[in-house]
Amino acid sequence: MKVIWIALFFVTLFACKPKPLDPLPTPAETVRILVNPTFGLNALNLDSIYQGPNGIRIKVSDIKFFTTLLGYQNNQLTEVAYFDFREKGNVMLDQTADFNKFPSLSMVLGVDASLNHDDPSAFPNDSPLNIVNSGSMHWGWNTGYIFISVEGKADTLNDGIDNFDLSFSYHIGTDLYQQPLSFNNLTWVKTGDHQHSLLFKLDMESFFFNPLQPIDIPNEPFTHSGAGLAALTQKITDNFKNALQLP
Amino acid sequence: MRAFLFFGILGFGVISCSKEKVGYLPTPYALDLPSHFPKMVIPLDNPMTVEGVELGRHLFYEKRLSGNDMMSCATCHSAFASFSDSAKYSTGIDGIQGNRNAMALINLGWDSFFFWDGRASSLEQQILEPVSNPIEMHLSWKEAVAKLKGDTYYRNQFFEAFGLQNFDSTHAAKAIAQFLRTMVSGKSKFDVMYKIENNLPLSAWDLSVQITNEEWAGYDLFKSLNGADCFHCHNGPLMRVAKFSNNGLDQAFSDIGRGAVTNNVNDYGKFKVPTLRNIALTAPYMHDGRFQTLDEVIEHYSSGIHMSATIDPLIEFANQGGVQLDSQEKQLLKAFLLTLTDWDFVNNPKFQEP
Repeated sequence: MKVIWIALFFVTLFACKPKPLDPLPTPAETVRILVNPTFGLNALNLDSIYQGPNGIRIKVSDIKFFTTLLGYQNNQLTEVAYFDFREKGNVMLDQTADFNKFPSLSMVLGVDASLNHDDPSAFPNDSPLNIVNSGSMHWGWNTGYIFISVEGKADTLNDGIDNFDLSFSYHIGTDLYQQPLSFNNLTWVKTGDHQHSLLFKLDMESFFFNPLQPIDIPNEPFTHSGAGLAALTQKITDNFKNALQLP
Repeated sequence: MRAFLFFGILGFGVISCSKEKVGYLPTPYALDLPSHFPKMVIPLDNPMTVEGVELGRHLFYEKRLSGNDMMSCATCHSAFASFSDSAKYSTGIDGIQGNRNAMALINLGWDSFFFWDGRASSLEQQILEPVSNPIEMHLSWKEAVAKLKGDTYYRNQFFEAFGLQNFDSTHAAKAIAQFLRTMVSGKSKFDVMYKIENNLPLSAWDLSVQITNEEWAGYDLFKSLNGADCFHCHNGPLMRVAKFSNNGLDQAFSDIGRGAVTNNVNDYGKFKVPTLRNIALTAPYMHDGRFQTLDEVIEHYSSGIHMSATIDPLIEFANQGGVQLDSQEKQLLKAFLLTLTDWDFVNNPKFQEP
């Protein structure tokens, strides 16, 4: 009988003993892609005033763009990455991946045609293409996304008085304006025990005031990629593509 | 005696390890979302249950959540006004008026900020404010919870919803949030137009809906860059984008809106972009309820835009006062706005007072 009592004692004692902890799994390797907007050599801050070579002064209120099908050869890094400077800062992508697999990177500036016309409500909740996340970047009427959005205000009179009374809004979309991009010999920087980061700069001075084809803001304040503004739309697309650079 | 001790100790050994709450078996709530809507992200710490939603509905209509037992959430968010207030400003229990129009409670499960100035970042957080606000329901949550605990129904219902008897304000907020997340509007003429436009499958009800040429023309105008140009801020199945905007109401601001939350002058005069769903039922309009009719709203965007330092760049015709619609265009645009009415939503018995 004593044996039973002793056994019961140990049953009671050990019934609540927690299981030994499994060894901690090795943290996954992650990569981040950062985009730092600049105005020439200086960091660009939203809503701050910058002056172009022709005296025109601008304040940028929003910079947003999509890139899709990011990868190297047969390794896809991600289907879509989204940059929203105001809401998300300079982080365009932060996800699990081994940077060693991506010595170079190709991507589509914009939303690839294979994704551009899908139901925006059907993408996973954590996809930047889900309508909840992309609301202001989706054109129901165009059955597709705005690839690049740059908005702000300009003071067109070089009289020393702040009067930012001209709005500009450049919205690039439709399959016609997708642009392939590729960046080679990438330098991934170790930014954590298991994290590597790739840094781009987005030179908005070069975007607005590209010496070869500057945007004439007073006369070219808007495009929504319609047929009537094809030349401006192409210029915006080219300038933006060229402004996105490895540092 | 020995057998009694034996089973007693054995039972203690088993039960002492159990964390189950006896009698607490909540039923998961299955949200019935329109086919063209995105999935709703439910907070991990507030899963939807049948019991929680029902409790939330009772609390939404519970007047004892106010200092004088005369006012509930529904007082300022009434079903006939698509869960908004038809008064310009709501009046609290002490006769004090606020300075902003009560927002319509529609499809809040997809929102990520609440109130006109976005000062609440979750539904649960938003719900906590009106009860204790001195110009609204003016009752401390401590007193409110004490009232609820004195009621057998609520004691039982909180237990069934959350498995506890010592509930507090956070549980009340969670229950109301669960109820609000069920308030989904996606069955209007506009929804049929949206599905047709995007080649999405149509239900039998969708196929029975007749859409007039005027309504289609109004929709085209709504989306047209050289027309009404509304889509920049009101698009997709939710009929809004998630942002704050200065839509040109004033040259100088008596209410700085989002700017008071961020302390950033670049946010002065900006307010949350509301959904246009059920817009015909949610008058008056704008954060301060300044417009009584849709005609006044259309006129504002047509010719009443005021320039200011923070005006939204997407109001592209601001420097000419607006989009300059003619009378026929205004009629067409209004015809489209009326397609956004979802009668099933406002008449849904699941959303009415229990």
